[in-house]
Amino acid sequence: MNKTRCLILLLGSFGAWSAAKAQDVVLVANRSVQISEITDSDLRAIFTGKKTRFADGSHALPVTLKGGAAHEVFLKNHLGEGPEEFRAQWRKLVFTGQGAMPMSFASESALIEYVAATPGAVGYASRISSQDGVKSLASVK
Amino acid sequence: MSRRLCLFVLVCACAGSLHAQDIAGIAVHGFVSQGFLFSSNNNYLSMKSSDGSPQWTDAVVDITDPISENLRAGIQLRMYQLGEFGGSNVQVDWASGDYRVNDHFGIRAGKVKTVWGLFNDSQDVDPAFLWTLLPQGSYSIDHKSFYLAHVGGDVYGEIPLGKRAGTLHYVAYGGQATIDLNDGYIQTFAELGLVFTNSLGGETYGGDLQWETPLKGLVLGSSGNMLAANGTAPAGTFHSPAYLVPSMYGQFSRGRVYLAGEYDRIPINATLTIGSSVIPFVADGRSWFAMGSYRLSKMVQVGSYYSHYVNKGADTTQPVNYSKDWVVSGRYDFNPYFYCKVEGHFLHGTALGYYTSTNPNGLATNSKMLAAKIGFSF
Repeated sequence: MNKTRCLILLLGSFGAWSAAKAQDVVLVANRSVQISEITDSDLRAIFTGKKTRFADGSHALPVTLKGGAAHEVFLKNHLGEGPEEFRAQWRKLVFTGQGAMPMSFASESALIEYVAATPGAVGYASRISSQDGVKSLASVK
Repeated sequence: MSRRLCLFVLVCACAGSLHAQDIAGIAVHGFVSQGFLFSSNNNYLSMKSSDGSPQWTDAVVDITDPISENLRAGIQLRMYQLGEFGGSNVQVDWASGDYRVNDHFGIRAGKVKTVWGLFNDSQDVDPAFLWTLLPQGSYSIDHKSFYLAHVGGDVYGEIPLGKRAGTLHYVAYGGQATIDLNDGYIQTFAELGLVFTNSLGGETYGGDLQWETPLKGLVLGSSGNMLAANGTAPAGTFHSPAYLVPSMYGQFSRGRVYLAGEYDRIPINATLTIGSSVIPFVADGRSWFAMGSYRLSKMVQVGSYYSHYVNKGADTTQPVNYSKDWVVSGRYDFNPYFYCKVEGHFLHGTALGYYTSTNPNGLATNSKMLAAKIGFSF
């Protein structure tokens, strides 16, 4: 019985860990984007307006969701901030004339459709399929 | 009343469904804020704040056109009222073209916000801040027209130093800065006997160097701004030779925590000439602040700062030569568009923010103030 309980606990812990680990988003990009991986540092710089290019020098066009779980997970895991701080940073750039707000979408399907159709676009979603017409990027810490 | 109605209609016309309007790539953003100020003693920032004053309104509309991958153009218009300052006329906040060759080099030209210290270029972007009033020793809201923007050009970019050394961000600029007729300096000159009917201004140039350190969230930086100002009024002239305004700052932002500090110096050595009288307009302003904030939840953020200003060129024991402000602040975001702020100030000294026209009976040394704002942004 004790062994059974241990096994259940072990499997439960593994499940919880997997769930936690699985609480990340898929980074998606237009198929014209040549890179296959991107550092969190570059992601932060692109999604906060500091950089406009990928590591290979090609143009990067960040695309975001308007809100929701995937948006918050992306911001927390890859930018290290919450939606309010993210919004405040972009408001400063926009209202000082130093940047243009990234395109944002109410749904993941609309975001994926835009990324698929726009050269250089990079965004995120909770999941993608091979029919979506985008490529996924690996995240490097 | 009609002015506020105009402001309301202007922003509502652009707000639409409270989403930024995007027509073929052109983006329209804006914000409106309405403030209220009550002070226990004295009238602050030319408002009748001792009775409670709502003369604190801002409305901004911004249009940006991303013409190509590298080129963007835009314009931002503003109407504001701050006590006796501002008015019904629409001002151009900034209007510029921005060409970014790559991440290391870009050019911006037109009327451009001036990068100096932590917040100079963004000090009037109310929706971006927790604070209702930024530290007035460094970012005096009644003098902002001279420091906030210049007509000229900037070059900017970043210099990566490697994974272990972080990144340098630089801005260098040159152009002309102007003191608007609606600025607090014009009111001060009038109280000294010189009434201007045309704006004053002069050359400005400077730069900012910011180090994004390898420690995630930590940024250190330094700015220098050279400013000169001259003007002629019917009864006399104002002359300020070029002076350097340096700033050193640091900020740390990670997760729910934000910390920042800054030290600035504003040494003014100017003269007002009225007839045969030459009146010195001199101050060696030294200011610093330390601030911190914490996000309690998605909707609630709280914080506090201490702001310290002294005029080192005069007797710093006299209240007229210092201003020390303890501040506690809270912000509630109803949703991504609507917000409100409440802030308490415990102000000692009368060096900043006071005018004879609204305080004809003199000033008490200390004052407590309650500032509140409600706003929306899209």
